[in-house]
Amino acid sequence: MIRRLLAWVLAVAATAGAGVSAQPLAQPLAQPLLDWTEEEVTLIARHGPWPLPPVRDPSNRVSASPAAVRLGEHLFYDTRLSGTGQTSCATCHRPDRNWSDGLARAQGTVELDRRTPSLWNVGYGPWFGWDGAGDSLWAQSIRPILDPREMGAGTGRVAALLREDATLACGYEKAFGDRPGRDDERLLVDAAKALAAFQATLVTPRTPFDVFRDALVNGDRVAAARYPLAAQRGLRLFVGAASCNACHFGPRFTNGEFGDVGIPFFVRPGEVDSGRLGGLARLAGSPFNLLGSHSDDTTGEAGRRTRHVQRLHSNFGEFRVPGLRQTARGGPYMHNGSLASLDDVVRHYSEVSPDRLHSDGVPLVRPLGLSAEEQGDLVAFLRSLDAEVPPRPPVPPLCP
Amino acid sequence: MRCLLVGFSLLATLAAAPARADQLPIFDAHMHYSHDAWDVVPPREVVEILKKAGVKRAMVSSSNNEGTRMLQDVAPDVIVPELRPYRSRGEISTWAKDPTVIPFLEDLLSKRRYRAIGEFHIYGADADLPNMRRVVELASQYGLYLHSHSDADAVVRHFRQDPKAKVLWAHSGFERPEKVREMLRTYPTLWCDLAFLTSHASNGKVAPGWREAFLEFPDRFVLGTDTFTPERWHYVIEHARWSRQWLADLPPDVARKIAYENGDRLFGGELGGKPEGGAVGGRR
Repeated sequence: MIRRLLAWVLAVAATAGAGVSAQPLAQPLAQPLLDWTEEEVTLIARHGPWPLPPVRDPSNRVSASPAAVRLGEHLFYDTRLSGTGQTSCATCHRPDRNWSDGLARAQGTVELDRRTPSLWNVGYGPWFGWDGAGDSLWAQSIRPILDPREMGAGTGRVAALLREDATLACGYEKAFGDRPGRDDERLLVDAAKALAAFQATLVTPRTPFDVFRDALVNGDRVAAARYPLAAQRGLRLFVGAASCNACHFGPRFTNGEFGDVGIPFFVRPGEVDSGRLGGLARLAGSPFNLLGSHSDDTTGEAGRRTRHVQRLHSNFGEFRVPGLRQTARGGPYMHNGSLASLDDVVRHYSEVSPDRLHSDGVPLVRPLGLSAEEQGDLVAFLRSLDAEVPPRPPVPPLCP
Repeated sequence: MRCLLVGFSLLATLAAAPARADQLPIFDAHMHYSHDAWDVVPPREVVEILKKAGVKRAMVSSSNNEGTRMLQDVAPDVIVPELRPYRSRGEISTWAKDPTVIPFLEDLLSKRRYRAIGEFHIYGADADLPNMRRVVELASQYGLYLHSHSDADAVVRHFRQDPKAKVLWAHSGFERPEKVREMLRTYPTLWCDLAFLTSHASNGKVAPGWREAFLEFPDRFVLGTDTFTPERWHYVIEHARWSRQWLADLPPDVARKIAYENGDRLFGGELGGKPEGGAVGGRR
């Protein structure tokens, strides 16, 4: 209560011009607005604006092509892309489950060792998969199609489908300008490039946080004050004492890189998931990486990261930093689904054991020692990164 | 962001992992076997991993030191025991001001034999705190090495307190090779472990700066895997393979020294301490 009163006093004081550029207070604030400093406003501003401009992948010649997006959407739901004919991309990446499946560990032909990552905002990432074994969204889309533990379709099966199904062949021609050819591997890659074009359109809507962020940046205190006070306090922790923004950076709330956040990574007795270290090995060994012949980028720029990335001992047990938009609607959490709820995640960072963290320099992860109220505030902030998603329109026909 | 962009080819590193890695035996001077590892990587599995990795001997510390004893029981000729001032690894940040730590160390030193005290974490002026000073005294008293995870400032303070101290600088202080060479020139009884470092080698090649350090001081570096979590025991084999790759880029005599001979010469001799009758974990 005292804190709320204090916040109210500070809010009134802030109308005199503390921190945010103040507007005349034409109407009373809906609730207290924290006295955001200029430094905090700068940090918060970096998490927007949202949405980002559409992304175009130079390694994918049909990236952002409407015809390719349409073909990719059809392929995404097509169970014939699996060896059993029963599994599609959408089996695990369900649109009604935030493009994930709600399971702790993905279920393919067997139970896998990692959680199905959401596809929201996936087109913006530099690395793909929990271990970053994919350096493009299209390369990453090939992996589950071929993996016998997941969809288990061979290259020939995918190629034959594109050649022999009249509708898909028509869609292919519209997207790529030619009828499907005889080169099976090229057709597999093209199918993946169409899938990537579709997935890149999966962008989360604007959220209460975005409204607050824009209002704060524009000095609109009335609009900013509509943002729940608990979320404001959580945001202050997020960009301040807890330093969550060191990794959950920028408009997507991820730096796109990898970290060891103290989650055990044994998958069964005597076996570990080596995370980024194994991902780098798989990336290097993949014929579909951006240094290979399937990239459509002629400048060499798209493969720069792949060419220069260096393996580190710390990569062992590191996993990709996920974006946080729509995250409260997902879960379970972490790479292996080991934490059931957002409350559990925040509690983990509050109580993470230093036993598991290597002390080289200033640690990015440390036990935060948050009070119950602070943990609740952080969760309130994370929930403000969610928004209702409009119903998806029916998949348009490929070749009407 | 740990994914550094530097001018080396990933493909050359990982896809074409060469068969040139020879069969150099390894003395690993930086291993931990703490309480959280005992059930998930039992002692016999640890020994099997070391065998597969070609690690002939390993200097091991553990929080709370029982893990070291457990490994010694299984492989006394492989495990070189190091006394750690932590009862749980969480004491990294508290041990230097904890009044119960010194009695804990003195009790164990009176019962068992060790080769070093460490790995402990200490930085800057904290190295002059009473606990750290007493640890330096104990190391001198028992003829032990100090295995110090610290910045250069703390190492300087160790030597101020005892100019004859024998210090193994964990991770080479995460310092630049130029600074490491400067420290090695200044302190003849300073040695460096290369645990958790990758800056000194990439794609099987030793980095400039570090090459000069290894050639100038071939007797002063040792390897280390740093099994600071239980999972990292499953990185030992890969780490040994990676180490042999870059060692192959050095003159053979230098590679042998860093791989094994230095560790064996420094830490492989008679253990220090004053075991009493029926001591547990002493050298057999």
